[in-house]
Amino acid sequence: MAEAANVALRSDELARIRERLGREPSTVEVHAFDAQWSEHCSYKSSRHQLKRLPTTGTFVVLGPAEDSGILHLGEHNGERYGIVIAHESHNHPSQVVPFEGAATGIGGIVRDVLCMGAHVIAVADPLRFGRIDDPHAHQRYVAQGVVDGISAYGNAIGVPNIAGDVYFDERFDDNCLVNVVAMGVVKESEIIHSYAPAGADGWDLVLVGKATDPSGFGGASFSSLTLDAADEASNKGAVQVPDPFLKSVIMRASYRVFALLHEQRVTVGFKDLGAGGIMGCSAEITAAGGYGARIDLDAVNVAVDGMRPEVIAVGETQERLLWAVPPSVTPLLLRVYNEEFTLPEIAYNARAVKIGTVTADKHYVLTHQGKTVMDVDIEFLTGSIRDELPSSESPAHEATSERPLVTGVQLDELLDRVLAHGDVCSREPLYRRYDAVVRGCTVIPRGAADAGVLAPIPGSRLGVALAVAGNPRYSHIDVRRAAEHAVYEAVRKVVATGARPIGLTDCLNFGNPRKIDHYSEFVTAIDGLARAAEKFHTPFVSGNVSLYNESASGKAIPASPIVACVGAFNDIGTVVTMPFKAAGSVLYLIGKPQAALGGSVLLDVLGRGDEHLPRIDYETVCAQHDLLYEAAQARLLRSARAVGNGGLVVALCEMAFATMRKGQPYVGAQIDDSWQWTHGSVGDLEAYFGESGGFVVEVAADDIEAFEGIADDVPGVCEIGVTIDRPMLAIHDEAFDLHRLRHMWYAPLREVYP
Amino acid sequence: MSTRAVAINLKIPDNAAYTALVTLRRLGIDVAGVERSQIVRFADAPETQALVTAVEKDESLYNPNKHRVTVLEADAPRAGEVWIVQDDAERPVGWRLYRAPGVPASLDLLTQAAERLLCNPAIERAIFPRSHG
Amino acid sequence: MSRRIAVLVFPGTNSEDETLRLLHDCGGDAHLVHWSRAKTLPSFDAYVLPGGFAYEDRIRAGAIAAHDTAMDHVIAGAQRGKLVFGICNGAQILLEAGLVPGTGPVRLPTAAFTRNGPVAHFVCTHVHVKLNIDPARCAITAALPRGTLIPAWTANGEGRLAADAARLQELQDGNHIAFVYAHPDGSVDDTASPNQSALGVAGLINHNGNILALMPHPERDAWTFNHPDKRRGDDMLATSGGAVLFRSFVEALART
Repeated sequence: MAEAANVALRSDELARIRERLGREPSTVEVHAFDAQWSEHCSYKSSRHQLKRLPTTGTFVVLGPAEDSGILHLGEHNGERYGIVIAHESHNHPSQVVPFEGAATGIGGIVRDVLCMGAHVIAVADPLRFGRIDDPHAHQRYVAQGVVDGISAYGNAIGVPNIAGDVYFDERFDDNCLVNVVAMGVVKESEIIHSYAPAGADGWDLVLVGKATDPSGFGGASFSSLTLDAADEASNKGAVQVPDPFLKSVIMRASYRVFALLHEQRVTVGFKDLGAGGIMGCSAEITAAGGYGARIDLDAVNVAVDGMRPEVIAVGETQERLLWAVPPSVTPLLLRVYNEEFTLPEIAYNARAVKIGTVTADKHYVLTHQGKTVMDVDIEFLTGSIRDELPSSESPAHEATSERPLVTGVQLDELLDRVLAHGDVCSREPLYRRYDAVVRGCTVIPRGAADAGVLAPIPGSRLGVALAVAGNPRYSHIDVRRAAEHAVYEAVRKVVATGARPIGLTDCLNFGNPRKIDHYSEFVTAIDGLARAAEKFHTPFVSGNVSLYNESASGKAIPASPIVACVGAFNDIGTVVTMPFKAAGSVLYLIGKPQAALGGSVLLDVLGRGDEHLPRIDYETVCAQHDLLYEAAQARLLRSARAVGNGGLVVALCEMAFATMRKGQPYVGAQIDDSWQWTHGSVGDLEAYFGESGGFVVEVAADDIEAFEGIADDVPGVCEIGVTIDRPMLAIHDEAFDLHRLRHMWYAPLREVYP
Repeated sequence: MSTRAVAINLKIPDNAAYTALVTLRRLGIDVAGVERSQIVRFADAPETQALVTAVEKDESLYNPNKHRVTVLEADAPRAGEVWIVQDDAERPVGWRLYRAPGVPASLDLLTQAAERLLCNPAIERAIFPRSHG
Repeated sequence: MSRRIAVLVFPGTNSEDETLRLLHDCGGDAHLVHWSRAKTLPSFDAYVLPGGFAYEDRIRAGAIAAHDTAMDHVIAGAQRGKLVFGICNGAQILLEAGLVPGTGPVRLPTAAFTRNGPVAHFVCTHVHVKLNIDPARCAITAALPRGTLIPAWTANGEGRLAADAARLQELQDGNHIAFVYAHPDGSVDDTASPNQSALGVAGLINHNGNILALMPHPERDAWTFNHPDKRRGDDMLATSGGAVLFRSFVEALART
């Protein structure tokens, strides 16, 4: 029966259901369990592993238990403010219908933040695509469609995109990764939780949003089955339709509801609908409070007549949320959504409507046309199920190759190739399709520093930074260390702006958990994430797992733990941006170059070199991060950039490129021969292009004494050169024209995103 | 071989068509349905099946999960349909209006809809069906 | 008695908060007026139409909003000389409503802000706009020095001015071109426009100069912390940059 209904429940799972119910499950019940016990909803393969991630700390207001996590930002006018943060994936839908998949990804993550009672203030998009050289290849269509979808949705709802990244690799040809992050701001006294609170027995469950329709049915199990071209016909009906116009109105109506509820000092529950539709959301919001629920499917606002009850119950129509409120509050919701904000005129049969009741009896009951079509124990439905899957200690794949680098390579040719490399070339053609500044709170948009920065509270100097990271080239070398680097890079990017990193989110994108190799990578990556998060005192407050990212031909993605880091500013006046500010400054490198080039752009370009991943000496790195923070606080840094893909030279180039705007003075750099600061511990190419982390900072001549004073006992700080008033990058006795280099750097993605 | 046209429609819900319908009705233009198409024209077009195949292979035009392709009988709007063109180089947008389910709108209704909403006379022109039915 | 400014919110408008905030910071008595409360509009003295995606730009940007009841009131008020300032989507609505340039009948546009060139995609980038008219030609700009250069952000997919040759000539002859795109140093040439807008137009006014339709967003570079070039010691929360235009608007209103 499961196969006929096109569900993913395994026969052992069906047997468990049969046994527990003491009867055959109804059709509605089968679909409900199929959705609720899918990997996407239940995290059955992953939840127990995730428990090893650190989730507590000084700045944690709410850890990963609800739809979003919350970090403490600071105080303003006597109120404590929190940053709400959530992180998810929409990988499989984006591979099939890139525009809608990515757009609904943004839609979903925004709802996760909204339902905590927060105003949504930013989104970020870490993306992984396949090879895009061929204009006719499917990967190119995916890469363009995804960006168009994120752009269309985020721009329309008026939420700025302030961070993100993108990598192109053939291992993502059949399985793109579309991860999305959303950020919100909320007074901590006004947080709304994702569960029905104390005393909610008898409360109303009020559904808000788009009329439920047959699109998106089968979404949750679709995300958990591997993709196979032959199955494309059966993916029909799984396309979720985005409606950012409706969402824009729902968001603003909800903000109005928040304000009214606070005036009345009512505590309620609010949760967004995602995987599992009405069933998933209503079961979880009530079970999490220790309740049951009773829903009348006939009360649901539907788009077409005659929908089968399981489609109404489990379908994943977008743009819907669910309130759990005292009956006395329901009229307020109906008035605001339906009258003040005219939802029914915005989209067909969109509205707020009461669909059910919170009950005390721990049953989850659905009725349809007068009959009970579902009645199960709610804890059995929503309780954690767990698949014990075998894993092995994932070998580090330590590459033993340490062949010496080729000598006599022309630096200018290397520069050209590194700057044009897919990991390094300018992303501006892509992100300029995103609104970076709507809401008027943007302090640093993408491209002006390593992390986006906002001043989200009008009248307050408090600021928040956001950056993402997760280099896919590292994991095949050493999964654990690759995961550590994902954390390190995200943290480093936030630190480079002068912010204090306060927390993390993660999305763990992996292959098939039923294949021991893939699952082992997952388990090992968590080790790495946990270690780095502990060392940096940045706990994970929200996250997502996306498994089964492989196609039926067995091609799996590189293990891809993707991390977002949130940083805080007490005073946005201390923010540090990337462009060089003036000639005659001193340039420092903070961070000791290593010989290891594993996963680096240089190694990819040259084809040979030390294939180990760089080590992370946490004590040293933390001291360096503290230095950067202190220097930023003392306003001693004219500019700063994290050293990342392509290494030091790319960092310098980008700091110089950012000065090359019409009518602005150009500022270039003159760097000493690397021996001056490495003393031969590494070769010059490793020094210039190595990706072992760290920062480049620009310090005015007048501030050198103060800077070197606070840098005195910090390892790995050395002077490397000066800024100059010409558009040149001079390295020792060679000089390179920055106009030409900028053109090399800007051209590749311009062709894909004209 | 001659110029031929295909209409590409969404087979998933079309939000823009829905809003156009609601707005036309609000303006007193009594339509019961609106269908929006991207019109793609082919000079020296091959016969029908080859045309469909060519469109279906082009991912920038067609995704089987969300699009449906209809080959038009002539390189002209169908009954009840108006094509809006901004400049001749680009693809028209087709709006097909129905006064009742399955009953295409009259030319008069179509003209009103184009003049009041669907066509901006400053930058666009409207192409109506050749026969007045 | 202070003049009251209505900041209109259509379904899909998304820049109302920062627009309201800036009007307040520039001394304006401004209020959000929601589409379901459009009938209160006649009681306001001036109208600001902020940016966003009213009706998600379905059919064309501004096309549907131009027919809203709210616009009936704006049109009536504008025809009686009330000041009207439309930004980005607000500007598109004013052109679709025929209020700007106002060289044709109401709701029969004679120019449009349409799909960007050379490629029809949304672009978000920092720009400058330069006052192209005698400041006194338009009440809203009257307090600005001649040739003022204002920083702003363009963020739209339909920002290119288009019209037929005769109508473009009419814009020039009638002195409707209030703002053009410029480089940071104030120079104006073909490369200054981010979207191939005809005649480099960034903003237009009507014949009487009481209605301004401006495509880029000055309110997004209006506080010091927004500026790309922040300097040590700057007061981050002070208004600057694009705020000059809003201040001129508020002053103009005070004189009415």
